[in-house]
Amino acid sequence: MIRFAKPLLLSLLFLCLPSVSGALLYIDINAPGGKLMPVALPDFVVASGDASLARGFPEAIGGDLGMTSLFDVLPRQAHLERIVPEHFGGRPLSFPDWKMIGAEAVVIGKVEFRGDLMTVEMRLYDATLGNMMVGKKYAGPVRQFRKMAHKFANEVLYAFTGVRGIFDTEIAFSARPEKGRGKEIYIIGLDGQELRQVTDNRSFNLFPRWSPDAAGLAYTSYRTGVPQIYLRNLATGKERLLPQVGNSKSPGSFSPSGDFLYATLSVKGNSDIYRMSLTGSAVQKVAGGWGIEVSPSVSPDGKSVAFVSNRSGSPQIYVKEIDSSDERRVSQAGNYSTSPSWSPAGDRIAFTSLSGGRYSIYTVRPDGSDQRLAVSGSGDCVDPSFSPDGRYLVYTLRKNGYSELKIGSVDGRWQRGLFKGLPAVGSPSWSPRQ
Amino acid sequence: MKNMLVGKRVLVALSVVLLAVAAGCGKKEMVKSTDGAPGAEMSTPSSAETQAGGQITSETLGTQTAMTEAQAGVAATMEKPSEFQDIHFDFDQSFIREDARPTLRTVADYLKANPAASILIEGHCDERGTAEYNIALGERRAESTKSYLVSLGVKAGALSTVSFGEEKPLDPGHDEAAWAKNRRAHFVRK
Repeated sequence: MIRFAKPLLLSLLFLCLPSVSGALLYIDINAPGGKLMPVALPDFVVASGDASLARGFPEAIGGDLGMTSLFDVLPRQAHLERIVPEHFGGRPLSFPDWKMIGAEAVVIGKVEFRGDLMTVEMRLYDATLGNMMVGKKYAGPVRQFRKMAHKFANEVLYAFTGVRGIFDTEIAFSARPEKGRGKEIYIIGLDGQELRQVTDNRSFNLFPRWSPDAAGLAYTSYRTGVPQIYLRNLATGKERLLPQVGNSKSPGSFSPSGDFLYATLSVKGNSDIYRMSLTGSAVQKVAGGWGIEVSPSVSPDGKSVAFVSNRSGSPQIYVKEIDSSDERRVSQAGNYSTSPSWSPAGDRIAFTSLSGGRYSIYTVRPDGSDQRLAVSGSGDCVDPSFSPDGRYLVYTLRKNGYSELKIGSVDGRWQRGLFKGLPAVGSPSWSPRQ
Repeated sequence: MKNMLVGKRVLVALSVVLLAVAAGCGKKEMVKSTDGAPGAEMSTPSSAETQAGGQITSETLGTQTAMTEAQAGVAATMEKPSEFQDIHFDFDQSFIREDARPTLRTVADYLKANPAASILIEGHCDERGTAEYNIALGERRAESTKSYLVSLGVKAGALSTVSFGEEKPLDPGHDEAAWAKNRRAHFVRK
């Protein structure tokens, strides 16, 4: 089921529910291979309306937690206690029953509907101490129930690790619709659910890039027959055409403040890196030369830009300090290195590189040292984009015309599929936290 | 072959719309194509236009311009027929190869003999590498083709360029034979 981007109306009510949770950390997120935290997610209480959400909520939260390789979601067949409305009115959970099946933590929830809106109360309990670690109440449209589940999964992760979760982030990408030869822009949730189509003009729509507030996308469209950069407000669907300079254009990345877009513009056949003001009309060349310069990615401090140049004879990754003339090559191995993506912490740059006849994804420090292989697969792994917590990369796996989106950990320990439902999927871009 | 026919039909539909707009002719003579999908035919004016009562207003013209743009966007995804052969390039290169020169001379002779004619040069790449880099590479192929034609005496004003990167492969295969065909410049009479 594909639908168009709709206004995001989710509002959050932070209830001052009593909590005795301290700063105690249960899981060290940087010590992989440790014991998994066993968590129970019994069916939510649904007073009236869509009863499928009784299971839908805990499944969505459990899917998120399971993705981290930090939690062990206990099978619901093992549960001994059923959650009832009274558990939200003062009746304590039977914690010995939860401990007996091995649970260290229990998440319970209650859903109430009012027309198209609903209110969800969710609580995380420490089964050993019997206290509530987190309590939240969310209100919003029923169709955004997953968003609420993701937000609470973020809370659970934070309670156990002190690390802010990314479960409510999304991935924008381009793909060919079932009909036609063009490509449209789509957005999908990190859990592979809630695919929605953003553009619908049956031309080529390519290279989506998120604004820092996640409210908009910049992308290239051939909708008038030639490539232009458009800025789209995802809530309203309103679009803006950016200043028309040169021929081919593709957005690279927004400045951290969101005031500028770094983009590739081709003037008289020569592609260079430009900075375009989004509040005014200024367009300034940032990096260039006689060769091809494309794909700018701005550092999180806004002071440097990574980009591709073929000035050495083959495409390689370079870093330039924006306000100086200092430029250096940072990709070492491989004879075809493209698609830089700067990590949110600023400590590494991911890119695609050809070696041994296959494209793989590497990361390197911005000074060009410590290049490491992050992802390689049974086909070409291209177009990396960092997650907002810097722990994962989304990328395209391509092989003989087949393509799918995958997510891998930056340390290369695991990969999983994200989306393969349409032809020619590619150019994934990970949203900021929302 | 079928693709070329469809492309031709869209072009015909497009030129009719353009002509209609340019001539500022009466509403009832205006035609539009509902879409560029295979099998699309020119449709009769919509009810909204009929209600306009044959009056031309700036508002209606604006709508027609938008339609034309939308059509151009869809048409951009289709292979356009050409009376000239494509010329081909080496992997990750944009220099004009020896084997491209006879075709370029043909194109140059045509343009010199027809001073009113103009040509759009499309630059294309094979599927290897990354899409964003390939847009720039296709641009460079189209520009180096344009420069060569200018060096043969063609007026620069008769030539325009657009890159489609790896988005429009002529051969859908995934081997060197297909890639070689897809690294090309394509000539479209405007």
